[in-house]
Amino acid sequence: MIVANQISKRFGRTRAVRKVSFTLEDGQIAGLLGPNGAGKSTTIRMVTGFLCPDRGRVTIGGFDTITAPQPARRQIGYLPESAPAYPEMRAMDYLKYRARLQGLPPRDAKHAASQAADRCRLDPSMARKRISALSKGYRQRVGLAATLVHSPGVLILDEPTNGLDPAQIRDARSLIRELAEDRTMLVSSHILPEIERTCDRVIIMVAGEIRADGSPAQLAARLPHQLRIEFKTIAENDPLTPRIEQVPGLDGLQTSIDSDGWRTITAQCTDRARDEVSKLVFAAPVQVRTLAADPPTLEDVFVRATEDLPQGTTAKGGADA
Amino acid sequence: MNKVMVLAARELGSMFRTPVGWIVIALYLFLTGLVFATNTLIPGQPATMRYFFSTSALLLIPIAPAVSMRLFAEEYRSGTIEILGTTALGPWTLAAGKLLGSVVFLVLMLAPTLVYPVLLFVLSDPNPDPGPIIAGYLGLVLVGTLYLSIGQLASALTSSQTLAFLATLMLLVLLSLASTQLPARVPPPFDLALLQLSIDRRVRDFSIGILDSAHVVFFLSAVGLMLTLTASTLAMRRWR
Repeated sequence: MIVANQISKRFGRTRAVRKVSFTLEDGQIAGLLGPNGAGKSTTIRMVTGFLCPDRGRVTIGGFDTITAPQPARRQIGYLPESAPAYPEMRAMDYLKYRARLQGLPPRDAKHAASQAADRCRLDPSMARKRISALSKGYRQRVGLAATLVHSPGVLILDEPTNGLDPAQIRDARSLIRELAEDRTMLVSSHILPEIERTCDRVIIMVAGEIRADGSPAQLAARLPHQLRIEFKTIAENDPLTPRIEQVPGLDGLQTSIDSDGWRTITAQCTDRARDEVSKLVFAAPVQVRTLAADPPTLEDVFVRATEDLPQGTTAKGGADA
Repeated sequence: MNKVMVLAARELGSMFRTPVGWIVIALYLFLTGLVFATNTLIPGQPATMRYFFSTSALLLIPIAPAVSMRLFAEEYRSGTIEILGTTALGPWTLAAGKLLGSVVFLVLMLAPTLVYPVLLFVLSDPNPDPGPIIAGYLGLVLVGTLYLSIGQLASALTSSQTLAFLATLMLLVLLSLASTQLPARVPPPFDLALLQLSIDRRVRDFSIGILDSAHVVFFLSAVGLMLTLTASTLAMRRWR
């Protein structure tokens, strides 16, 4: 369990993070999302105990990262951005080294390193190579394996797919999902589909503050659907458009008609308005070609959060800015 | 203690996995070999390694910064410091482990030079006194450890290896000059204070077989101070 309570950090005059709070329950996978410079990495560094917050506190499994850093750190497996490692070391030696640093005796360290390598699909031929000779994708796997050698209950990954090609990203994503099955996980990224497909909770940070916090569905539910109706009237008059215009909860309604007589209505709508409109459409004497209410994507949520979502409108546990 | 050893072993291994370690050792052995052949192996002269020890102590002034410059600066540059800083390691463990690794490297660098006293024992009659030779090597290890600990502190202060190297080199040269040239030019009690800092004087004592506990305490205290400053620097980075 990770608890960040009102953590803030300044670098000189720059306010990097301000009053960020969230709680990650055991087994939860949360994505920390935000544009570059939003304060994601600084937040992650404070959560891992690499940086001390100027204000506020972080506890990992009940241990404060400042007053009890060692027990707190023992519960964390952390992969920093770009998966730094020692290029001159062989991958398996590096994993053993990381296991030894976690306090495992030599025999256990060897076993833990092999297990972690297997878990991250690092085959023995690759594990024997120097890290400098591995592709970026494999280096990422080595980094991920190194976070697992001491079987931590909490995994924290900072931009785990940064710099990978699409095939490697897909591979890394499936690996992360596998690893998350029995752990609490905090993943930072600015790649929206990555978070959407990996995490069951999204925390959106902008300018050092939390702007939105909740499951992708919760966050999307607060945004309108994009409604689109294409129909042709059977009678001479259009019986549908005036009725639809009367439905409350529609925003930005636009109508058009093409040369073949197909009418198009687009609007942003709430869930209730969408249901009302579909009733009207099916009851009206019209030929319907399209009736769609596309749900908002995480991208829509992200754009809205970074534009004008009022601060403090989080679904749960967000910033009290 | 186990973690100190693990860190030291990795540090030592990395010095031999990169060309820097081999180049430093080769250069040191070449120069000291030259000194030994031209200044020690002289027919008719007493069999002593005094000149070897004083030259070696001088060579450590550029060698120690070359070894220590990467200790932390490279971790900062590559980002691996985040891994060390989020593992269950205290700053003291980190500083002690890295210093130990570099000191073992220094000992391994000195080890091949043991062939010189062996040669002296084979070739000289009468044989050289082993006391000054043992004390001389102990002196070199202590001086080297101090230089490395100063270099480690510089490396902990910057992510630039070049800067760490230059800062350490300048500091060691200044220390040497201040303790050898300045005492005659400053009034008491400053001259005595500067003399107390003299590394050369202590190396000279070791090389003639004087095992003064004050010298040993001086080196160990100075190394302890440097380790404390390095550990404090690492701890303070969390609050920067």
